[in-house]
Amino acid sequence: MPALNWKIAGAAGEGIKVSGLILSKALFRQGVNIHGYTEYPSLIRGGHNTFQVAASIEKAHAPKVALDVMVALNANAVLNHQEEFTDQTAIVADLNLIKNDLTGFKRQNQIIDIPLAKIARDSGGGLLVKNTVALGASGYLLNLPLESLNQILTETFARKGEEVVKLNHQAASLGYDYVKTNFPDKKLNFAYPGKPPADKIFLTGNEAIALGAVAGGLKFYTAYPMTPTTAILHYLAAHADQFGLVVRHGENEIGVVNSAIGAAFAGVRSMVATSGGGFSLMTEGLGLSGVTETPLVVVLGMRPGPASGMPTWSSQGDLLFAINASQDEFPRLVFTPGDPAEAFEAARLAQNLSEKYQTPALVLTDKYLSESYFTVDRFADQHLNQRHSLADSKALPNDQPFPRYQLTDNGISPRPLPGTPGGVHLTNSYEHDELGYATEESKVRTAQVDKRNRKFASMSQEESLPQPVLFGPQNAATTIVSWGSNKGVIRQALNLLPDVNFIHLPLVWPFPEKTLAKLLASAKKLVTLECNSTGQLNRLIREQTGITIDRKLLKYDGRPFYPEEIVEKL
Amino acid sequence: MTTNLHSPKRVTALPPTWCPGCGNFGILGSIKAALDQLTVTPDQAVFVYDVGCSGNMADFVYAYGFHSLHGRALSSAAGIKLANHHLPVISVIGDGGCFGEGVDHFIGLSRGNHDITVLTHDNYLYSLTTGQKSPLTPKGTVTPSTPDGTIDEAFNPLGVAILNQATFVARGFAGDIPHLTKLLIAAISHSGFSLLDILQPCPTYKKDRSYAWYRDHIYYLDQEAGYQTNDRKLALQKTLETDRLPVGIFFEETKPAYHQQVISLKDTPLVSQTIDSINIGPALKEFI
Repeated sequence: MPALNWKIAGAAGEGIKVSGLILSKALFRQGVNIHGYTEYPSLIRGGHNTFQVAASIEKAHAPKVALDVMVALNANAVLNHQEEFTDQTAIVADLNLIKNDLTGFKRQNQIIDIPLAKIARDSGGGLLVKNTVALGASGYLLNLPLESLNQILTETFARKGEEVVKLNHQAASLGYDYVKTNFPDKKLNFAYPGKPPADKIFLTGNEAIALGAVAGGLKFYTAYPMTPTTAILHYLAAHADQFGLVVRHGENEIGVVNSAIGAAFAGVRSMVATSGGGFSLMTEGLGLSGVTETPLVVVLGMRPGPASGMPTWSSQGDLLFAINASQDEFPRLVFTPGDPAEAFEAARLAQNLSEKYQTPALVLTDKYLSESYFTVDRFADQHLNQRHSLADSKALPNDQPFPRYQLTDNGISPRPLPGTPGGVHLTNSYEHDELGYATEESKVRTAQVDKRNRKFASMSQEESLPQPVLFGPQNAATTIVSWGSNKGVIRQALNLLPDVNFIHLPLVWPFPEKTLAKLLASAKKLVTLECNSTGQLNRLIREQTGITIDRKLLKYDGRPFYPEEIVEKL
Repeated sequence: MTTNLHSPKRVTALPPTWCPGCGNFGILGSIKAALDQLTVTPDQAVFVYDVGCSGNMADFVYAYGFHSLHGRALSSAAGIKLANHHLPVISVIGDGGCFGEGVDHFIGLSRGNHDITVLTHDNYLYSLTTGQKSPLTPKGTVTPSTPDGTIDEAFNPLGVAILNQATFVARGFAGDIPHLTKLLIAAISHSGFSLLDILQPCPTYKKDRSYAWYRDHIYYLDQEAGYQTNDRKLALQKTLETDRLPVGIFFEETKPAYHQQVISLKDTPLVSQTIDSINIGPALKEFI
């Protein structure tokens, strides 16, 4: 399978991410699928940043370890990444700057030595365009037409004015020519289709979630910035006027969740996004949504914890927390999308089902899915929405409180929206009777708990819920069971593992017991794979199905699995 | 509590559960009178109740209601207002919820000039949990949680509101219903963040501050010669008085409310904007 694997590494503040994105887009426009993965510390300047671009004619689900090209902007970018180099890796570096730090480095002959700093200065753009010189050099090595790189440079820097665009074109061209002249035989033999993949888009999990929520009728978004979901706030704030949204950066996560619930009570679809720490602050609000039966969508982007943990890294340590957060019991939905396509659909469905069942819906993502770039099928333009579980405004009592929590067979009690004549009622965080008034009566309490639980039974039957899905051969010696963002990595690994298949869970609550049991029944050797230290899905499967899976592949160092790693460990 | 042709039903069939002599009775009476005079119908108002003795009013008022979490009433109220800014949104909250548990929301929403009316039932105590100190309890007061007297200095709610750009700041007294009703009408009519702090006797846990004590200690700002409600410094100075307690409007100014500055709310309330058919096509262009 023709594929490229390029990486740029340097200090935070050196424009690593922008460079990676420019190259990604240029490659995408030439017709390859792109997967972009970034690693960075929780610092604005000085730490070690990387951006990795895996490009492939076929689908690119995940980055692999072995690099074709590494752009090393400092010595650490060489020394910290030696495990990713093969005998074929081309290492682009400016030895004028880092030669002394590389004594003892074994692959000296693989270095494409290019005076990045000097060329940048000579180009007239100064050190700021050093990365662009490196992009030009990469362009030659990757056999990428210079015009395609220039096109993206134009789009990226147009808002900074013509002069900046021109300087970047100049820098790219000098980098390209330098490598062409001095290392002509280092060009990779890679043929591009020459036009963008038809009906594909290239975006992050966060952007997919934001778009999915909008497609699902989102009107009110509020958040307090927290990696890795901050970009949802940025995207929706930037597009609030275009989509007709209210987007508010709230005073803290507690204010955020309570105002989102208020907006939903008043009748608009709302959403919040955070990470584990913010979600901890939101858990009382989650229960408020549950007991008041007010819709709420929460996006929980996982990162290593507990507490402040490793803010800019990835984790899947909050699965059981998401299912169990808040005191006492109430129904909820927990989506665990594996890629931006599923993330879009999860966010869209969460909006609709949360309103329908008047209970919280959670979308679990992680730093790897939220902030990595994926090539996926273009989403549909048009999305139709229906309003759910609202009371018929023509059949409301006059001058009497409306029975907001009426006992119904499916547990759903239709609600009038505030301002509707005749629909006056109380929505109550205390346990309440059918009219909404606070109660401590034994029978009423039991009836209301049972009513809320009936919604769980109803939603478990919901046809639109995404079901566990099998990838790979129908019959295989080993079956991997996993959830969330591991999906792409495992699918990539399956290419190297002919006798292995994989069950992915895009939703864990209501637990998809029936479908999963059927799939597990035909499996031979089972192994669960997760990015946490105790195997939370493994525990959940045992709790829900009685099936014990003895083997767990676990990783909890903040990095996602690499396909090669799965092959090795299996 | 009777209903007649001129005043719509204001209360539910449930009898209030407050202690005899509780200041909440007077406040509820003023709320009813204010809504009558403003001709706001029960289906055109939303009350957001905090948790506490005051919040228990949720069961007694006949109007759209949301009984929130402790300390969070203001946040929920702000969300409701942004979703449907045609509805007046009134929060009923205690001094513990507003200035203790939820003080961050109080300050944040005040700075944003969110158009909500905040009625703080201020009895200087946590009464529902049997009388512990609140942020407003004067230093040195003995309560079950501070048997040697409170160490903390008391919070200054009106001063904090003024410093944080609240556009309507007033203090009322639960024992003077006609005066309180006037303040309520002004607070609800005000566009922007309005704080009406209401001095409220708690005959069960705060026996040293009876109705008589308050009558002896309050004075009316509107009877004060030369007092101007548009003078921020003077208003701030008034909030520092503790020997005698001024009641009335301390400060008010006209400024655009939060929702009036949100572009997507220029034409119609959020809740009236249809979601039947959403086209994300134009937005997908940036991902190619």
